Amino acid sequence: MENNKYDIIIGLEIHIQTKTKSKMFCTCPTGYFQKEPNTHVCPVCLGLPGALPVPNKRAIELCILMGLATHCTISNEIYFDRKHYFYPDLPKGYQISQYKNPICSNGLVKLSNTTVEIERIHQEEDVAKSTHHTEAGTNKEYSLIDYNKSGVPLIEIVTKPCIRSSSQAKEYATRIRQIARYLNISDADMEKGQMRCEPNISIQEKGKWKQEGREVVPIGNYKLNAKIEIKNIGSITAVEKSINYEVDRLIEEIEAGNNIKQQTRGWNANKGITEFQRSKETSDDYRYMAEPDIPVIKISKEDTDRISKELIELPDKKLDRYINTYQLSEYDANVLSANKDVAVLFDKLVVDIENELKDLPTSAKLASNCITGTIFAWINEKGISISSANLDIADLVAWNLALNSKEITKSKAEKLLRESLDNKKDLSKLLDDFRKQSSESATNLTDIVKDVILKNEKAVNDFKNGNKASMGFLIGQVMQITQGSADPNETKSILIKELE
Amino acid sequence: MKIDINFLKHMAKLSRIKLSQKELEKFTPQMKTILESVDVLQEVDTAGIKPMKKRVSFSDLREDIATISLTQEEVLRNANHTEMNLVKIYGKIF
Repeated sequence: MENNKYDIIIGLEIHIQTKTKSKMFCTCPTGYFQKEPNTHVCPVCLGLPGALPVPNKRAIELCILMGLATHCTISNEIYFDRKHYFYPDLPKGYQISQYKNPICSNGLVKLSNTTVEIERIHQEEDVAKSTHHTEAGTNKEYSLIDYNKSGVPLIEIVTKPCIRSSSQAKEYATRIRQIARYLNISDADMEKGQMRCEPNISIQEKGKWKQEGREVVPIGNYKLNAKIEIKNIGSITAVEKSINYEVDRLIEEIEAGNNIKQQTRGWNANKGITEFQRSKETSDDYRYMAEPDIPVIKISKEDTDRISKELIELPDKKLDRYINTYQLSEYDANVLSANKDVAVLFDKLVVDIENELKDLPTSAKLASNCITGTIFAWINEKGISISSANLDIADLVAWNLALNSKEITKSKAEKLLRESLDNKKDLSKLLDDFRKQSSESATNLTDIVKDVILKNEKAVNDFKNGNKASMGFLIGQVMQITQGSADPNETKSILIKELE
Repeated sequence: MKIDINFLKHMAKLSRIKLSQKELEKFTPQMKTILESVDVLQEVDTAGIKPMKKRVSFSDLREDIATISLTQEEVLRNANHTEMNLVKIYGKIF
């Protein structure tokens, strides 16, 4: 989507529902997914007269944790504000949010080729779920509201307008989701609405504008093109697709000499297009005011130090370590660091194999092959997560060591691992059985080969007459009798010896 | 802030209240008087004075424990219309 004439300027707002047991300002339970409607609701969520909000400590900790993970400055005082608007999903008539003093500010997220600057991360509350319908018969329009979601803790992460392509936007959103999941801040499932991405996009002529902090300003007499906000994005892929669509549409409009109007558009995933929702001719008038019902909350250095103990090694650091210390390929390093549970398993496995082998790159390569090979194939086939696969680290270490010492062939080793996973069999017992069998079969192998030669006269003659392919057939016969436990190379050399 | 009939129209729009021309003309001077009397507060010199807002420590915040909410029947009791245990609101709200 590189363009010679125009720059693409993207800022991203990401909302994430944080993982708490109770709501942001009351003690109603948060888990509303597929629950009976309007059962997780109290006078606070309903905005009934006299109800007072009481902030949830854990929710604020998770907001600070997200800020620490993205290198933000953490405010030492927390202020809440009221953001007013009239809509049935918000019965109080205002959302408790943060206006001038967000909890976290000035952060950054490093991507593969660039750094995204974070303007702010602030704490707020989610609104109710509403669906819109038309009444059969009367043709009257109406909305149905479930207040279970109203008041669920929500953090908003806002970037500066520093993203320059749809692929950067996608990478950034993926990274944010990864951080949220790694730190158990949120499951960040976009399909369930636990994470929502809203890009705002504008197209400006190259060299005619500059970025000043959070603002895009014109140079000279240049008139900036208005920016477009996209909503209803239901997946990370849709972040990229919707931006690509919108950028092409905007460039076409500008090239046709049309004036771009500031507007909100909705992504229609089925049609793969953005659709006009509403124009924003005037900036929203939310009449922000300080929330008088919540006192200022002091955050000490001890508080942030305590919260920072939850900061575990994040995917970008892991990726770096896997490539530079473990000498893995970038591809393998990416695959292994993407999911926290996979990375934790991999890290443990490497340490334990290395304890025996005293060779870090080899240990890492073994562990990487073991996880990304048979184990991934198996969990993908079963559609389960790595944590529910019940893998035994000690067994996997023994398996890798056997493979490394060439005590067992790769295909046989994979077969054993598969068997242990499929039938929930003890992998170390399978390995022991294999060892017993193979020591017996080693003495038997010559006998088996002799037997195969006797029983396959035609193939033996073919081989002697110069048909090399017959050797493959004879090896196959031996493999069949030994149920694949014989070493093909060893079998071949015995065969050749016996045939001479 | 200029308090004129356009200001009042804007306020009415934000509050989803329909006001007739006659009402707008009646309420504009009233609103002006109210806001001007509150405006007197702006004359007080507050330079160097810290806000009197109460401050609490982080540890004073509510622990994250969920309790039982209202019953569905209680929640829906005040709704004029319901459908499938959802609050039903007539009108185009986009």
